[in-house]
Amino acid sequence: MFQQGHPSIIGIGELKPTLDAGGRSTLDLMAEAAAKAIQDAGLHKDEIDGLLVTPPSEDSYFLWPSQVAEYLQLSPTFMNMVELGGASAAGTIARASLMVDAGVCKNCLCLSSGVWDKQVFNTREGKTAVMSQAEIDYDLPYGPMGFNSGYGLIARRHISEYGTTSEQLAKIAVDQRINAMANPDALFNQKLLTVKDVLESPVIVDPLHLLEIVRPCSGAAAVIVSRFTQANNTHDPIEIRGFGEAYTHNSITYAPSLTISPIKMAAERAFQMAGVKAQDINLVSLYDCYTITVLISLEDIGFCRKGEGGKFVEDTDLTYKGSLPCNTHGGQLSCGQASFAGGMSHVTEAVRQLRGEAGLRQVKNNDLALVNGNGGVMSTQCCLILGRR
Amino acid sequence: MTDYKKTYWDKLASGSLCLQFCTACNKFIFYPRELCPYCLERGLEWKPVSGHGKIYSYTIVYVSALPEFKEETPYIYAVIELAEGVKMPSNLIDCPLDKVKVGLPVMLAFIERDGKTVPVFKLSEAALSTTPLPFEGSQL
Repeated sequence: MFQQGHPSIIGIGELKPTLDAGGRSTLDLMAEAAAKAIQDAGLHKDEIDGLLVTPPSEDSYFLWPSQVAEYLQLSPTFMNMVELGGASAAGTIARASLMVDAGVCKNCLCLSSGVWDKQVFNTREGKTAVMSQAEIDYDLPYGPMGFNSGYGLIARRHISEYGTTSEQLAKIAVDQRINAMANPDALFNQKLLTVKDVLESPVIVDPLHLLEIVRPCSGAAAVIVSRFTQANNTHDPIEIRGFGEAYTHNSITYAPSLTISPIKMAAERAFQMAGVKAQDINLVSLYDCYTITVLISLEDIGFCRKGEGGKFVEDTDLTYKGSLPCNTHGGQLSCGQASFAGGMSHVTEAVRQLRGEAGLRQVKNNDLALVNGNGGVMSTQCCLILGRR
Repeated sequence: MTDYKKTYWDKLASGSLCLQFCTACNKFIFYPRELCPYCLERGLEWKPVSGHGKIYSYTIVYVSALPEFKEETPYIYAVIELAEGVKMPSNLIDCPLDKVKVGLPVMLAFIERDGKTVPVFKLSEAALSTTPLPFEGSQL
């Protein structure tokens, strides 16, 4: 439990994802998102005294938080970089909560951004840049396709163990596209998808089809975490009720299980800290680099039993109109994955919903949301419980 | 190159897949390293493996960004659970795509790739005539 500060999200800022950053850098995009969040919070830049950043997508990692602070001309009392892959963004919120609660800083800016460079992405260098040395030495000789083949292994094992079908997995992308159609900022909101569309898209790594795989893009998102007492009244502050993290492996080859992820432990810890249960959650914002990621998340968080995720997504309306709204912005499957900022989109969307500012896609019951950040191949997990005060 | 990396590939070049073994923990270890990841002691021994294993999971890669694999698609990328209790990434070779299944028994084979002898796997004779092995319970 947090001790005293009721850490809350008082500002968000997000850029519309684009396929082409138009020559702009990670820092440029970060600065624009930061300005939006500061304005949204009703703060002055000088009131930002904490800074947590996710890693750069193309710049040097060296002293990265310092590079960001210099660009923004911030002089914080605390700063750091959080590198948990796709869980980095959620990880910044968890860490900001602790620092704010402890009184180390008052207004912590959590910043993430990514610039997609297709010249680098689909090359050997692009692939090895996201591999560990052990993977380069003992995995690369077999032609792994990075995250694609990792999640392919998981999907195949889930299908074999539990009889999950490709149709059930496709339904996740279909429902999220319905959400995206109500989100003017989604990258893919031009037309609805059908299960048939998904299954007729090319198989990239069997059993995963193109439309089950996230599309890399460019973008940025910023969130400001502050003590509740300092929150202004521009928007309803959204309280961080609890978080939980769990880690079991880096490469999926060495994971204890392919079908039970560390999300199970992360969610249990988050629920315990917040004093709530899965049944209390009104909406979820689940890291969705692939359809199978969402299915396993739903099982491990406890919305259905292990192995029954396929049936669950088949029978459950996951849209903003449904009984368990999931990724109401369209998820990264419809909004694209702006590198480390992709994970932050799950936070900003949950905040919009809890504030009641989600427009066309606003859900009815919006007291409590669960956000999950997932990094690597189900490797790093950070689960957040957010709620209205 | 570290000593253990060199040992691993040198032993393969001489036709043997050897893995490190911790006598204190009584466990095989993959991938090679200096300290046992369980007890963090030195003195890991190298032991040849039986070559028996089964398919823990697999994926058929249809689109590869790796230049040396572009001509190889579709190919089977798999995680093999060795009889020694460790899992390793590998390829399943000489396997018709409609025959591959999770749980099938496999046997070690070697190929030359990029100037190295690389351990890969083939379906065992039994796999081509029998049903997949039952699953063991999840461990997490």
